[in-house]
Amino acid sequence: MRFTATIHVRPKPEVRDPQGEAILGALNSLGLGVASVRTGKEFVVTFDAPDEAAARAATDTMGRELLANPVLEDPTVELEQIR
Amino acid sequence: MVRVAILRFPGTWSERDFEHALSLAGPAGSDSSEILWHADADLRGFDAAIVPGGFAYGDYVRAGAIARLSPAVKELRRFAAEGGPVLGSCNGFQILCEAGLLPGALTRNTGLEFRCDWVRMRVESDATPFTRGLRGDLLRMPIAHGEGRWVADQATVERVEREGLVVFRYVDGRGAATLEANPNGSLNNIAGLRNAAGNVVGLMPHPERCSEALLGGTDGLKVLRSLVGAVGTEPALVSA
Repeated sequence: MRFTATIHVRPKPEVRDPQGEAILGALNSLGLGVASVRTGKEFVVTFDAPDEAAARAATDTMGRELLANPVLEDPTVELEQIR
Repeated sequence: MVRVAILRFPGTWSERDFEHALSLAGPAGSDSSEILWHADADLRGFDAAIVPGGFAYGDYVRAGAIARLSPAVKELRRFAAEGGPVLGSCNGFQILCEAGLLPGALTRNTGLEFRCDWVRMRVESDATPFTRGLRGDLLRMPIAHGEGRWVADQATVERVEREGLVVFRYVDGRGAATLEANPNGSLNNIAGLRNAAGNVVGLMPHPERCSEALLGGTDGLKVLRSLVGAVGTEPALVSA
């Protein structure tokens, strides 16, 4: 079975996000009244796995071993079977 | 003879500077450092390993994240577990944190700047091969980084302070760890750390870029001379 995982990685709520703060200031220079900006990354990964449980386990490994640093970030995963 | 391995990843840029600085650190002819390509680095027979600065793998994903999965880091883990001295500077410090060899993580500077400047640090621990006899000294070294803010959860911050794992702390000219002396927003002004055993040390500043008077300072040589003295006068920590 083939899956596509969309893995979002965001800084943990307690970790200061200077990039988000800079974007906040820039958006407010447009007069938009923005209250908060948090930045993150998105990874779209297509891969094969025998079933959904195995696919879910694989995305956990991807997040833990490479895509997110557990000190700084939390990953969230949307998993879709494409065939 | 002191044999130091200097690791090179795609994107490393400070390996030749370290090679040159090490040639100045010991008596003439005593240095035999070697630059090793990350894909097949073999640290057997080396007295110490250095992970230099740069942008390993372009800093893709996060600084040090892809390097963490390189064969060289696997070998580095083995070498460090056997007590081999390991020094990571700048991107090397980021890689050691990503690899879990040092606590916490390094992320974007507060203040929106890539900082390329000179900083002062106080040596807080001499329980490492890189800081023997230097405790309490104020060192002046250059930095060049955009992601040098050390962060960790509160329990880890308390642990590194309690266990004396802070090796270098950003301070002002009078030795005070002020907000102004902190170039990147690091928690507790932390510039460098060691592991519990003391053989693994990481710091954001660049000792290799202040190892001769021509470059504006020689404090980096103190760190490298400490290493040369440590591995040159004691039985090798790592079997060949």
